[in-house]
Amino acid sequence: MTGADRASDYTSRELMAILLARDLVDGDHLQVGVALPVPEAAVRLAHIMHGPNMELIFLGVRMNVHTLEHLPLPAYNWDCRVVRWAESYSDRGHRFDQVRDWHRRVFFIGGLQIDAYGNSNLIGIGDDPTRLRLRGPGAVGTPTLTTHVGRYYIVLNHHDRRTLVERCDYISAVGWDRGGADARQRLGLPGGGPKYCVTPLAVMDFDEHSKRMRLHSVHPGVEVDQVRAQTGFELIVPTEVPVTAPPTAIELEMLRTRVDPDGILRKR
Amino acid sequence: MSARQQRLLDERAAATWLEDGMTIALGEPAPMAMVRQMIARGLRDLTVVAGGLAIDMLVAAGCVKKTISYYAGGGTAVPVAPSFRYAAERGEITVWECEEGILTSGLEAAAKGLPFLPWRGGVGTSLAELNPELKVFSDPIAGQILLAVPAIEPDIAIVHAAAADAYGNVQHCGGPGWIDLFLCRAARRTIVQVEKIISNEAVRADPWATTIAGADAVVCLPWGAHPFYSRGYYLQDIPFVEDYVACAAHAARTGERSALDGFLDRYCREPASHAAYLERIGLERLLALHEY
Repeated sequence: MTGADRASDYTSRELMAILLARDLVDGDHLQVGVALPVPEAAVRLAHIMHGPNMELIFLGVRMNVHTLEHLPLPAYNWDCRVVRWAESYSDRGHRFDQVRDWHRRVFFIGGLQIDAYGNSNLIGIGDDPTRLRLRGPGAVGTPTLTTHVGRYYIVLNHHDRRTLVERCDYISAVGWDRGGADARQRLGLPGGGPKYCVTPLAVMDFDEHSKRMRLHSVHPGVEVDQVRAQTGFELIVPTEVPVTAPPTAIELEMLRTRVDPDGILRKR
Repeated sequence: MSARQQRLLDERAAATWLEDGMTIALGEPAPMAMVRQMIARGLRDLTVVAGGLAIDMLVAAGCVKKTISYYAGGGTAVPVAPSFRYAAERGEITVWECEEGILTSGLEAAAKGLPFLPWRGGVGTSLAELNPELKVFSDPIAGQILLAVPAIEPDIAIVHAAAADAYGNVQHCGGPGWIDLFLCRAARRTIVQVEKIISNEAVRADPWATTIAGADAVVCLPWGAHPFYSRGYYLQDIPFVEDYVACAAHAARTGERSALDGFLDRYCREPASHAAYLERIGLERLLALHEY
């Protein structure tokens, strides 16, 4: 038995997947994009552990695989075999045909930059848009998804000052715009906006009034000052910051045996 | 009395439809055999409507002036398509910034003969600043803030599907994917490359299975989506895609293009036919990609 098999020893990506899974609610419709192994694992873990009525939407395939013993990770990314589990295929018409009814839909987003109000940037970094220092992949479907889904989570592989900035150079998906509880209402965006930003160091939420990012909990072994120092904007830090509840033995076992047997999330 | 006209072409004949400066839309999975034809013919100044790494090969080969792309990444292989990134950062290509819902709105507008269609996704973002053809407006019915997306009308859409008959009745396996039908409805002409040709009787036995009616050209190109997948037939050739990405990333990082040019020569420019390309890939490798 190696150290990594003990419940006290887990990677930050495993912790992030477990934290996200705990926040997902039975009945959610969970859409995960390509190359997002942490959200993908989170959704599948929640589905197995407490979500028999969740619907998983990967690559246009809508499925409920609650009773399946084992689903290998990350075969879904660009793997057309995902249709084997489909109950229906949303791409039959248009994947955005029924955005009006997306209150139960949940989405996950990353970004080259995330700013203090949860806006995200997949377009690029640099002052001159025709000569970007870093050209990103483009907005994919994130503007439409974040406009309409009931809630979404920002999930980052790195917690650093380069990624977490005061204001994105370009915004590809609106979180809370320039702040204020009515920020999305002013733009006429019907969806509920970003709920949490989950990183390898901490969980952040958004202040109810200003909608600025606020430290919600720090992961075991992480200091509040470290999170502050690695964030490129001034975080709201409450007087008491709880420590993120670590994975339970059951959560880790389910994650490692049923969702991620190949240990994709264990690679450090 | 004349006979009903068949629409079967070989890949070289179909490629003669493609000309410098055209707007060409590529479906999902990308119709790679025709993309290789575009590179082999040395097409220039194209506007390419596409997502994923097919864009990258066309940019690497110098075919592209402008991309209309919601996503220029390589999934798990690479976060940003390397040649696209290199060319965009140097201003060598223009990026018509958009996203999936904006793109499909523009395509629908073209198909419906409308100058634009409204869309909400993108309101409050930088997309309209970066792409001045997108107009933020207050709608005349409810006064909501929306984007006006101009019609996007490709000269030619090229898609990959499972099967078609000789008259352009096309069937996809497991559904037409998310973008193909939008592209075909919006484009002036449609070329469909297929894994196999089926009889007109087989089409009539299940007309509900026809996803595209009346494609202008049908090209029989089995394994034609390689190195990408074709539902019901084969999986993505992951090592091949990784090899390409490594060559492209090296060229983007160092400016030294010999590996990338060698790759494009070997797989796109030198093979005299699609069959010659498949011989270079090798039967063993192709059969190992079989889906089931």
